[in-house]
Amino acid sequence: MMKRLLGAAAAVLSMALGVTGAAAQFGPPELIEAAKKEGKLVFYTANFAEVEIEVIRAFNKRFPEIKVEMVRAPGGQLITRFKTEAAANKLIADVMSHSDRGLMLELKDLFQDYAPPNAADYREDARVHPRLWPAITVGWAIAYNSALVKNPPKSWMDLTKDEYKGKIIGQVVAPSGGTTWTRAMFERQVLGEGYWAKQAALGIVHYPSGAPASDSLVRGEIQIAPLLYNIVYSKQKDGAPIEHVFGPEGVPIIPFAEGVPASSKNPNAAKLFINWRLSAEGQKFLVEQLAHLSSMKTPPAYPKGWDPAKMKVWLPKFDEFEKLRAGWLDEWNKTYNYRQ
Amino acid sequence: MALDTAQSAPDRGIGRRLLTALWVGFLLLVLTFLVIYPMTMLLIGAVSDVNPVVDGLANFKPSLTNFIAVVGNPNVHSALINTLVACTGGTVLAVIIGLTFSWIVVRTNTPCKGFIAAVSMVPLFVPPLVAGVAWTILGSPKTGLINTALKWIGLDWRVDFYTMWGLILVFGIYYAPYVYMFTASALRNMDPSLEEASEVAGASAFRTLFTVTFPLIMPAIVSGMLLSFVVMLGIYGIPAALGAQADISVLTTYIWKLTSWTPPLYSTAAAVAIILMVVTGILVWLQQKALTGRAYTTVAGKAFRPRSLNLGPWRWLTFSLALIYLFVVVVLPTVALIIASFRNFMFFKDAASVVDMKMYSLKHYYAIFDNPLTLRSIWNTMKVGILTAVVGGVLSFAIGYTIHRTQVAGRRMIDVLSTLPVAIPGLVVGVAYLWAWIGLPGGLYGTITILSLAFIARFMPDTVKALSTSFLQIHKELEEAAWICGRSLVGTIRTIVLPLAAPGVIASMTLLFVLAIRELGSSLFLSTSDTMVMAVLLLDFYDGGNIGKTAAFSLVQTLLLAVLIGLLNWISREVAQTGVGRAG
Repeated sequence: MMKRLLGAAAAVLSMALGVTGAAAQFGPPELIEAAKKEGKLVFYTANFAEVEIEVIRAFNKRFPEIKVEMVRAPGGQLITRFKTEAAANKLIADVMSHSDRGLMLELKDLFQDYAPPNAADYREDARVHPRLWPAITVGWAIAYNSALVKNPPKSWMDLTKDEYKGKIIGQVVAPSGGTTWTRAMFERQVLGEGYWAKQAALGIVHYPSGAPASDSLVRGEIQIAPLLYNIVYSKQKDGAPIEHVFGPEGVPIIPFAEGVPASSKNPNAAKLFINWRLSAEGQKFLVEQLAHLSSMKTPPAYPKGWDPAKMKVWLPKFDEFEKLRAGWLDEWNKTYNYRQ
Repeated sequence: MALDTAQSAPDRGIGRRLLTALWVGFLLLVLTFLVIYPMTMLLIGAVSDVNPVVDGLANFKPSLTNFIAVVGNPNVHSALINTLVACTGGTVLAVIIGLTFSWIVVRTNTPCKGFIAAVSMVPLFVPPLVAGVAWTILGSPKTGLINTALKWIGLDWRVDFYTMWGLILVFGIYYAPYVYMFTASALRNMDPSLEEASEVAGASAFRTLFTVTFPLIMPAIVSGMLLSFVVMLGIYGIPAALGAQADISVLTTYIWKLTSWTPPLYSTAAAVAIILMVVTGILVWLQQKALTGRAYTTVAGKAFRPRSLNLGPWRWLTFSLALIYLFVVVVLPTVALIIASFRNFMFFKDAASVVDMKMYSLKHYYAIFDNPLTLRSIWNTMKVGILTAVVGGVLSFAIGYTIHRTQVAGRRMIDVLSTLPVAIPGLVVGVAYLWAWIGLPGGLYGTITILSLAFIARFMPDTVKALSTSFLQIHKELEEAAWICGRSLVGTIRTIVLPLAAPGVIASMTLLFVLAIRELGSSLFLSTSDTMVMAVLLLDFYDGGNIGKTAAFSLVQTLLLAVLIGLLNWISREVAQTGVGRAG
């Protein structure tokens, strides 16, 4: 009897210690306590709402006491709204997450100093400012409709082959945002100066964003498209005949920038939320459940079809990302005869 | 309240003039807040590179750079030409369809008229983005269901909606209800004695239709035509879905690019919006010029019963026409959306795979209702829709009455101000409201009320114009009779004008409700997680690339709207039946 009692006590103690120990990786106890006391936060994001709903659910499994209210808008509109609210002292965001690091860097003064407990685990080149962190990282894959494509592409260079001529390939236009601009930079810097011209000569279908492009790929309007892997994965989960390859020349990745505004009314809850998103637990969830990538030096998980020994992650040099943007996008528009 | 009416009562004292001035002043103040202030912010944006809130008006340096860049851009010229072609073609089609069906429903003995009337309004409830998506599913040259079916039947015909003709056709069928609403209401309120006189004089039914009936309801036809044209000018979803593949750019898709790319170019977008405003301004001016100096009064003190033309066996032809229309406009896109909402993914290997039941499930419906924002957005949308319809309806009635039934000084100004918002495209109007109203004291920002204010302002022209038709049709002699009997102005409005205009008032409020529920542009900037509305959530589903969830959510929205509109329609009919006008 005594043995059983002692065993039960030891189990309870170890569970309690386990929970405390696990929680500790997300911040010091006083931060967690203060966050729970605040009890809520307002989260501004340009990421897909459905992705963030799942992330919030996972966060709430760990911290059910904190209610996350999400405001989601497309990138351009979100930035305008954030800046305008801040200027009018009406900013309600406690966390702001955006895919365009350049635009976020311009707003650095609106954010407060913040660093997660595992700051050292993150790649330096994935960050643009000490106040902004890459909790979300997405990467480009080459997707194709496996019911239609008999000879699927195996590399980025394959997307310039004559056999894919005549509106077989579709892509989101480069000026669409930070993610597409990263892809366009990769194509020119890694695949060569002539890559755009060779591909444009095939006759490419253009889309304003990833949603209609992925939808067209599933329906067979186009047969091949460079798409963000997380979008491809959501189609695969539905059972759609979509397969993907990660280009052996490199996988262009886009780390988002995320921070706590200086005016945050719930700064502790906000910091705990980002701490969790940046933690190994949060990143593992994002990679395994939502097909994101991770900007950690040693990612806690890899997506399907990813061989860490072979895959080359490609990140643009940030100064070039900003400096080359206007001129190169102008050239991209001309090369692809895309209306501006 | 007292207004300086054309046949005003003898009492013209100082108090009365003061009250009139106060009333006009009040309306102008409301319009300044709702219209002038946000539009000024937009103009500041268009003629400079400043965000009026972020950079402050102190940094405002006027410059025509944006205008010069836009006006000199050949792509803008091409987008403008495409816009005018698509909207003109769409409007012509909408007038043909809308007018034909209002005549069939109101003035003929075609079978199942109530049903035809109810179902022909359905396209109005469908958000343009969803309509565009539905027609890409149906009309794609490569994978469209229509072509799949034609191939299966063994026919060689193929359709291609990724063309200007496709765009015109979809515009026309989706915006025909605007023309229908205006003309059906006018036909219902029209005294048939003039038509009877025409026929007694030997004119055929067909000739009477074109020489008496349609000319008499010309204000309604022109208003419906103008409104449908202007609404088409501002639509993004349909040209975005159908035009992308064929690279058909219109002004709204161009504005979308400017506002959604990063960094967003709102100042340039505002400059493009000014072009749209100029086009709209010209149209409004043409409308007023076309209607000035003519009498369209058809509701007078004499009792009448709406006339129903006995078509004999031809009624089956009109019935068939109605069925074909319903099939094309309602059944086909609804089937496409139903398929998309229940199908796991939208790839059809061949015609047989369309009916492969293994490919269907409730997963998209489970997913949307698993989203905590879904129920919240439905509840918020209902709240904001009702608030907008009621407050906007009352305000529009006050404005419409002042413009059309009085001779007060300043009514022309009120007319112009209340018409201005029609010219601002939805994609930039949201940022204008954000810039204008974010600094308001009293915690208004982030509430349902601010959304409602934006919708009232944005759709004021639609509601006021819809009401104008009703006001234009009521003869002054009815009000005069009430005044002679000693009724006050308010009493006359309450007992004579309001009951006579009731069908129009309810139709306008219904329109406002529908427009408010679909509105995305302003919601995107003014809603928060607490005030999330369905239009924003729908965009989230669409932006997430999930056509199944988008279709499922839009069907939920359509169903909800159809039930509510059916209810309002029933109320409208009850009110019309007990109206004073027809009882004499």
